[in-house]
Amino acid sequence: MKRRLSLPTRRVDLQRRIPFFYKKRTCYGVKGDTIATALYASGVRIFGRSLKYHRPRGLYSMDGECSNTMMTVDGVPNVRTETTLLREDMVIEEQNVLFSARNDLLGFMDRLDRFMPAGFYYESLHKPAILWPMAAKMVRKAAGLGHIDPGFRFSGICDEIYPAADVCVIGGGPAGMSAALAAAASGMRVILLEARPWLGGSFDYRLYAAGETMPLYEQAGELSSRVASNGGIRVFTRTAMVGGYNDNLVTAVTEGTPEDPFDYRYVEIRTKSVIVATGARERPLLFENNERPGVMQPDCALRLARTYGILPGRDAVFSVGHDFGLEAALDLSDLGVSVRAVADVRKDGHDPALLEEIHRRNIAFFPGWAAALAEGNKKVNSVRLSQIGTGRSRAFSCDLLAAAAGHTPACEPLALFCGRLAYNETTGYFLPGKYPPGVFAAGRVLGLEAPTSIRASGEWAGHEAAAFCGADCHAAAKDARKALDGLPGPHAGSNWIAHPGPGRKRFVCFDEDVTEKNVRQALARGFDVPELIKRFTAAGTGPGQGGISGHNLPLLVSALTKKNAAVPTTVRPPLRPVLLSAYAGNGREMTKKTPVHEAQAKQGAVFRRVGSWHRARYFSADLDVTEEVANVRSNVGILDASTLGCFRIFGPDALSALQRVYAGDMSAIRDGRIKYAAMCNHDGCVIDDGVVIRTGTNDYRFTTSTGRAGETGEWIRYHTRFEKWDFHLVNLTDGTGVINLAGPRARDVLEKITDADISNEAFSFGSWRAFRLAGGIPVTCMRLGFVGELSFELNIPASFMQAAWDMLLEAGRDMALRPFGVEAQNVLRLEKGHVILGQESEQRTNLLDLNLGFLWSRNKDIKPVGADALGQAESDPNRLTLTGIRMADTHAVPPDGSVIVNNAADRRVIGYIGTIRKSAAVGAVVGMALVEGPYTREGTRLAIYDGHSNMNVFQHATVVRMPFYDPEGERMRI
Amino acid sequence: MFGMKKILPGFAPPLKFSYDAVLIGGGLHNLATAWFLAREQNMNSVAIIEKNYIGYGGAGRNTAIVRANQRTRENIPLYKEALDLWPVMTRELDFNLMFYNCGNVNLLHSEAAVKAARVNVATARLMGVESHLLDAAETQKRVPALNLSHQITHPVHGAMYHPPGGIVRHDAVVWGLARGAAENGVHIHQQTEALGIETENGKVTGVRTSAGTIATPRVLVSAGGYSAGLIYHMLGIKLPISVLTIQAMVTQPLKPLLNHVVSSGAYHVYANQTLKGEIATGAHMDPWPNYTTQTTAGYIKHQAEALIELLPCLAGVKFMRSWAGLADMTPDMAPIMDGNDPVEGLFMNCGWGYFGFKSCTAAGRHMARFVATDQCPDRLKPFTLRRFENHRLMGETAALVNYTPDN
Repeated sequence: MKRRLSLPTRRVDLQRRIPFFYKKRTCYGVKGDTIATALYASGVRIFGRSLKYHRPRGLYSMDGECSNTMMTVDGVPNVRTETTLLREDMVIEEQNVLFSARNDLLGFMDRLDRFMPAGFYYESLHKPAILWPMAAKMVRKAAGLGHIDPGFRFSGICDEIYPAADVCVIGGGPAGMSAALAAAASGMRVILLEARPWLGGSFDYRLYAAGETMPLYEQAGELSSRVASNGGIRVFTRTAMVGGYNDNLVTAVTEGTPEDPFDYRYVEIRTKSVIVATGARERPLLFENNERPGVMQPDCALRLARTYGILPGRDAVFSVGHDFGLEAALDLSDLGVSVRAVADVRKDGHDPALLEEIHRRNIAFFPGWAAALAEGNKKVNSVRLSQIGTGRSRAFSCDLLAAAAGHTPACEPLALFCGRLAYNETTGYFLPGKYPPGVFAAGRVLGLEAPTSIRASGEWAGHEAAAFCGADCHAAAKDARKALDGLPGPHAGSNWIAHPGPGRKRFVCFDEDVTEKNVRQALARGFDVPELIKRFTAAGTGPGQGGISGHNLPLLVSALTKKNAAVPTTVRPPLRPVLLSAYAGNGREMTKKTPVHEAQAKQGAVFRRVGSWHRARYFSADLDVTEEVANVRSNVGILDASTLGCFRIFGPDALSALQRVYAGDMSAIRDGRIKYAAMCNHDGCVIDDGVVIRTGTNDYRFTTSTGRAGETGEWIRYHTRFEKWDFHLVNLTDGTGVINLAGPRARDVLEKITDADISNEAFSFGSWRAFRLAGGIPVTCMRLGFVGELSFELNIPASFMQAAWDMLLEAGRDMALRPFGVEAQNVLRLEKGHVILGQESEQRTNLLDLNLGFLWSRNKDIKPVGADALGQAESDPNRLTLTGIRMADTHAVPPDGSVIVNNAADRRVIGYIGTIRKSAAVGAVVGMALVEGPYTREGTRLAIYDGHSNMNVFQHATVVRMPFYDPEGERMRI
Repeated sequence: MFGMKKILPGFAPPLKFSYDAVLIGGGLHNLATAWFLAREQNMNSVAIIEKNYIGYGGAGRNTAIVRANQRTRENIPLYKEALDLWPVMTRELDFNLMFYNCGNVNLLHSEAAVKAARVNVATARLMGVESHLLDAAETQKRVPALNLSHQITHPVHGAMYHPPGGIVRHDAVVWGLARGAAENGVHIHQQTEALGIETENGKVTGVRTSAGTIATPRVLVSAGGYSAGLIYHMLGIKLPISVLTIQAMVTQPLKPLLNHVVSSGAYHVYANQTLKGEIATGAHMDPWPNYTTQTTAGYIKHQAEALIELLPCLAGVKFMRSWAGLADMTPDMAPIMDGNDPVEGLFMNCGWGYFGFKSCTAAGRHMARFVATDQCPDRLKPFTLRRFENHRLMGETAALVNYTPDN
């Protein structure tokens, strides 16, 4: 199709052709085209088929409010072709068609509407019961627009930014630009969001000036150049607001152009105030076949011509309800479209200047008339107009029907900030009843139509927003208000959207193929408010959400119920569909790595995520870690335990705080000695364990498990919140590395790299010392026995970790020292009967259940958290209790988590296995389990089921005493 | 073929002076209870008092997943019964609840998670509920779009697969139960707020509502996230319930992609494809208690990040709607179903957290028995409120929960 070359409003570059593939054919658009305009220019009128009835669908609006023109582009389904910029070599496919959109073999569905009244599936398809599972499968196949391949990979680049602003203006039309300029004049940092690729809004493509000298598009140009040169305004075009949240958090998404370094950019704006200047859309007109290709909104028709240089049709009929509709008819007529007739629902109240022009051009004009029927098989070829009230009608042949009932506000952003909308009797608009502080609205969204009023309302809102942010511009705001009050106010509108009357295919919602008749059916079934009708008919729940039906549904419900109370259904973000990749942004791995992560990786470590960390779990392909375990038992190994929580607490009341959260008595810590301690919650359940040492007067250090490090600070502050205690708590976790040097030869290794006396006499089990390693590396060293061998747990500043690790490896080289991972530690400590919280305990496991009652001190001055619960639990013999078990079979190892039943006949679950391993040191398969009290006596035979095998086959184990290995603990005391 | 019988009864007849039982809250649990009271217990003088409209709360905000692979001996039979009731209720209510038996795949991302799942699977199987552990490769066969890469935050180790589960059309359940209850004489008073519960000598005597006072010897409070607040404000009884916002969202509808409900604890994601083709997905709860049903910017973003890691093809799919509801969490993730203690005639059915939808049929049936006979059915006995006083938690979750600042 040849395009109009010489339009001052044109936004496409006709010299720059862009090739793309449509239905495996190469087509061409031009630079600046959206996919939809390029297709339209190539002669495409039927873009796809509707969801339920497979009706042909075409270009209707121009802002992608419905699924009519959604297509699959480069494998991405439901792309809004009306707003997506055409790029080179895009592959564009039709959706929801069998064969093609033109000749869809499922087109017969359109005749089956009688069998599919609103909500028919609720009351059919379940009788007989056997029908439903089959029907469900068919429903699934039929439903859904667009297909995504499971192997699809998104190749675009996604960025994210988090700018802040004083004033965020939503909408870059004349009102928004005026607002931005006014706010910036007071020194505000302004962000201006505009969904289209350029500023200008409704002025951008209009010549009409309502008595002013400068055409509207020139006014837009003048405003946008002032905005562009204003350093206080940051403009985001192609950026649609998608979310509005508490405290004026605005989210938006920018669609990049080939020139941008990104394809999508998530923009999250923290702003002090918001000005909504999103303008108005056209209100869809309901009539028979109101979505037949060839029917489009006047604004869409005008923009096709003015912005993209494409004549929307040869012979046009207009059915409008607003002055803009008349203006569009006139302008299109001037551009060469033959306007056969213009119907206007209004009997009077038209702009006289426009009427005069219509008469001057001899265009047949029908006030008080509206479209009743669009005819044509796949495209419109004639239109029947009829007079409201009398039913008189006339038919006109045409290939374009520009139809709208009037304007409706693009008020969704306001709904997000202000909550409920109400029907405004003057404008016929849905607008908020009240605005929260800092939220303002301007322009056409309020029903203003006069260009001067639109600009003045923007200026007023800009000053008001600046004043709200603290600028000294109250006088300016007052003046702007006065100026606005002197100008034409909101136009008079109505709630009229259709001739009353029957009709099978008057579509309220295009996406879900919901007709006026369906709404009547829903009302007849007792669904009396839009929110319920929406759910029952699915109107407004499709890919375009409420874009088409959002306002028409409540208006229709009002009309049908003769009540004026219906309001739109709740507006929910995102305001337009957003790609998950656009939300996800640039992606990031937030997992922490220890200081010796890379060193361990080089040594063959296999990492697992533990809490927020990566930890080395295995150092070999042998997941049974036999070698790693044996090396610690008979020789020496090192383990990176840097993920353990590490805290310092100091100050006059540090001890009190510790007494509150730890079950044990922290006042009993002796100098140089280590106290093993546990924290419980109010139910007495163990939430953490670790060690506490006293490093000075009122100065303590303690460790926590890896998972609890994050919460511990919060925990202590919470449980001391009513006390006036003076203490400081410092989380040293990320700054502290920990190496556990363990095994009978541990001392031999450590001696090589320190001058400190680490003999058993000078530094015995259960105590700690601070000393330096070679090179002056400061360490706090603890003699602990988690793995059951002689062990030195070295706490080292993170920055020295690598050096210490290397030094230890070097010192131990001739002793075959090697690193061991968390799984080896797991086996080693299991043999010792030491629990790992979360592994041998669960949410309801208390201190007593773990046989750790000795950690609870009953006679402290400060009652610890959980003491009451522990006191109660003491007399309960039935609780799940930590129990050592030994498998009857010395080879078969049931998996962790296997359940324990009382006996093979009864199969009552009485517990489960926390950890179980084949132990070389013990020579048996041993494990720790949680078992109900009555079954924990030594020698009790237990049946075990792994959840996988035949349910009649149980393995057996016997309750045995723990620890399994070195029960006297001699090996860690050498 | 299609009668024009009303589905929704509209407003009930004017409030009667007295009812045999008043149920506060027009959600699924009370609708089910009312229906069973009328149908199985022959108690027809029953009123439901709903401040908004039926199904306004959790009933209309959940993601409609049903399953019975719970963890403990006490919970599994209850959820199994609820699951088994969907086809039965569809028949009894003569309303298509659209139970879509697609099965649930619960992804496991660590050795520890596999272990925890094994407890569930083994326990479930021993109690007659089908459940399987899958390894990573078997999981991908079930979910072809799944990412098995080890380079993601939480690599997939396997899954717990539960074939009997699936999804149900939540609105259908609300409407079907409401229609059924109304047909059996239950009065559903919408736009009617409960203002107070009147007691005399430790016995319930009536309910004050915005439409007037009703005399009744029995009140059942089951108002979802608002239950704990109501019971505290009306009777001064503090329940160990924290109310947290939980958010959900849907993508645009797609042709079939996910064949099962897919969930992941580590990523805080669950996703299922509805019969309409949307991928409905939810996140974990907001990390602090509150009563708002507002969504937040952070969660939809988190959800997108997590879903793309797990199911990379979703990068090319769009979110189109998000919403939020309330989850009333108890410390052990099991509900409180109790009655006649400490106030005679006061029944409560709350604390369901995010399990309220899948359980509503069975819970309603047993609560109806309880209310009608004053005898607590055995199945409900473990869910007594006193268990918290006695520090005997139910262990429905393995891991420590963190719903309140003091836990």
